[in-house]
This record gives sequence, structure tokens and C-alpha cells, in this order.
Amino acid sequence: MDERLRQLMREYQEGRFDAFDEIYAVLAPMLRRYLLAQCRDAARADDLVQETFLQIHRARHTFNPEFPLTPWAMAIARHVWLMHRRTASRRPWESDDVTGMEMAVRAEAASFADRADVRRALRKVAAPRRDAVIQHHLLGFSFKEIAERAGIAETAAKLRSSRGVAQLRTLLRGKGRA
Amino acid sequence: MTGMPHDLRARLVVDYQPVTPIAPPLARLLWLLPLAGLTLVAATLAFDLRGDAARLGLVGTWGASSLQAVIGLALAGAALREAVPGREWNRTAIAWWLVLPLLWIVLVTLGSWETSPTLVRRGWWFVGVLCFGSSLASGLPVVALASVLAARAYPTRPAVAGALLGLGAGLVADAGWRLFCHFSEPAHVLSAHVGAVLMSMLIGAWLATVICRARRRS
Repeated sequence: MDERLRQLMREYQEGRFDAFDEIYAVLAPMLRRYLLAQCRDAARADDLVQETFLQIHRARHTFNPEFPLTPWAMAIARHVWLMHRRTASRRPWESDDVTGMEMAVRAEAASFADRADVRRALRKVAAPRRDAVIQHHLLGFSFKEIAERAGIAETAAKLRSSRGVAQLRTLLRGKGRA
Repeated sequence: MTGMPHDLRARLVVDYQPVTPIAPPLARLLWLLPLAGLTLVAATLAFDLRGDAARLGLVGTWGASSLQAVIGLALAGAALREAVPGREWNRTAIAWWLVLPLLWIVLVTLGSWETSPTLVRRGWWFVGVLCFGSSLASGLPVVALASVLAARAYPTRPAVAGALLGLGAGLVADAGWRLFCHFSEPAHVLSAHVGAVLMSMLIGAWLATVICRARRRS
């Protein structure tokens, strides 16, 4: 299996983008298991898997096809986890408690959802995504600033925010149907 | 779970282009060789060979310094390997990499003192600061180049990679500076010269961390 992965990574390095799909299919479950064991939070583990694959993409030039791919990818996943843990310990505020947060929304937006519903839904969104959503959409930080605060890549900040908004939308849609 | 999410795919596509795999650590080490060689001979070219060179002999001067420079380059190679994910050294290996070179310096210091005891009789602090500053300054270009080489990889522990690089560069610089400084008094060598090597190690750790942080934010 690793021989095949090495070959796929070589092809990805050489310019065949589709090779990453197969790499993702093989590595994602294993990386998710590892990250889930570390953070014990399914949504957070999913985010960290995404972040790991972003970093794998960014570090693709460091992969030497003479060596197995799995230890290389696992080292990056471990690094992503440690960076996340370090960032979380330095986070100046926790967005877990969103009840006290003033949400400045336009008058026309109030018709889409009740503030209390939004707060409740927001509380269900995974912390890293919620942080990105709140910092960008409520506090007005740019993605670059969010990335700097969290010690992650700007693309990762965008990814967290868009996934957070998508999750929020799903939660509110569910609420609307209920 | 096994299908790549569309948003991730969209992020990857944006800056995707073919890449050339990074050269192995030994090949990247070749980039450091000219600068390391220059650092080794710089003090001797600028000033002169130490006054007691005849007493120490070729082995005690160029032999010991060349071997120290080779150890320094080996450390730099170890750091370049450390900078590749999945090829990090374990804690025991790192401890050996840090301790053995320092033991080597102590051994050379005691050997030089035994063969040619020379005390710093006047201006102990002045000579100490001069040796510390000069040795440190001559190693900084190697530290800077090595840090850039390490950051071009993907060090998951930039501080460790940088410390190894800094220690290696410090050893090379000290190998050159001991060819000029004839004071073999252990207190002088172990404070000023080893101090410069340790400071170089700290600068390397700091520089590699700063460069990697800046690269990740870019």
C-alpha cells in the first residue's frame, strides 16, 4: 500500500492534482483516528484533518519518494495537533459562552432567525470554526488577522469560517423545519 | 469521510503547481560548505595563526580545528534532516548531538592547555568579550544561511532544528577562531569561546522559529 501512496505523492509533486484524491481517501481515515484520539472531539478532529491535508499540500516538496509516506504524513498531523493545542492554550478568549455576546445584525436579517436560535446554534458549532465565524462575521477581523491570532494559514482560517457558516446554516435550517 | 471535501479541494487548487522534491540533507549541506570553509580560515587569513602553533603542531591546530568544523557540519546536516517531517531525531539522539560536540571542545581545550598553557594575564574581560563577540559574529552568516535552508523544508520543531544548526555554525566559527586565539586558559576558552557557541545555538533556535512562523503566515 505504501508503495502505491509513494507513487501517488510523486505524481502529485509532478503535477497530477487528481492523485491527491486517492491519497486523501487512504490517509484521511487514519489521520482522523489519530487526531480524534488526541482531541476527543469529532468536529474538531475533522477540522484538524482538513488542516493536516492543507499542510501536506504546502509541504509536498519535502516528501522524498524513497521513504514511506505514512510517517511523513503522521509527523505533519502531529505537528498540526501540537500547533492547535498551543494556540488553544494561548487563546485570549473562549467563544464557548456566546450568550453574553452582542450580535449586531441588520434589521432585515432579524427576520431570518431569532437571536436566541442563532446563539444556540452557534454554541453547537465546533470551537475552532465558531472562533473563525465570530471573529470574521461579528468582530470584523480579516482572515489574515484571524490566521495570525490562531497561528494558522490564512486559507485554513477561511476554511474554518466557511465550514462554520455552513454548519450554522444547517443547524438553523433544521430549527426552521422543526 | 474518504472523499475530499469540495472546500478543501478549492483551497488546494488555488496555489497548486508541480514542485521539485527537496534535495536530501547531505546534498543541501553542500550549500553550506563554501561559507563554512571561509569561516574556518577567516581569522587566520585576517590576522595570523596563533603564536603557539609550533608547540601545538599541525594536529593540535589545523587537525583539531578541521575535525571540529566537520563535527559542526555534521550537526548542520543533522539539523537539515530534522527539518524534514517524519525524519525527526528522537530525544536521545538530540541529547547526544548537543552534548558530544561540547565534550569535544572541552577535550580540545584541555589538550591545548596541557601542551601549551597560556594565561590571559591582562584584560581578562576585554579579551573574553573580544573572543566572544568575534567568534559569534563570524558564525552568524552560517547560522543565517543554514536557517534559511532548514526553513525551505518543513521543520515541525523549528527550535530544535535551529538549535542544531546554530550549534553547528558556532562550532565551525569557533574552530576558526581558536586558530588565532592563543590563550589556552580553560576559564577563558570555556566562558568566551563556548559561550559564543552556546549563544549561536540560541540564535539559531530563535531565527529558525521566526523564519518558520513568518513562512507559515505568508
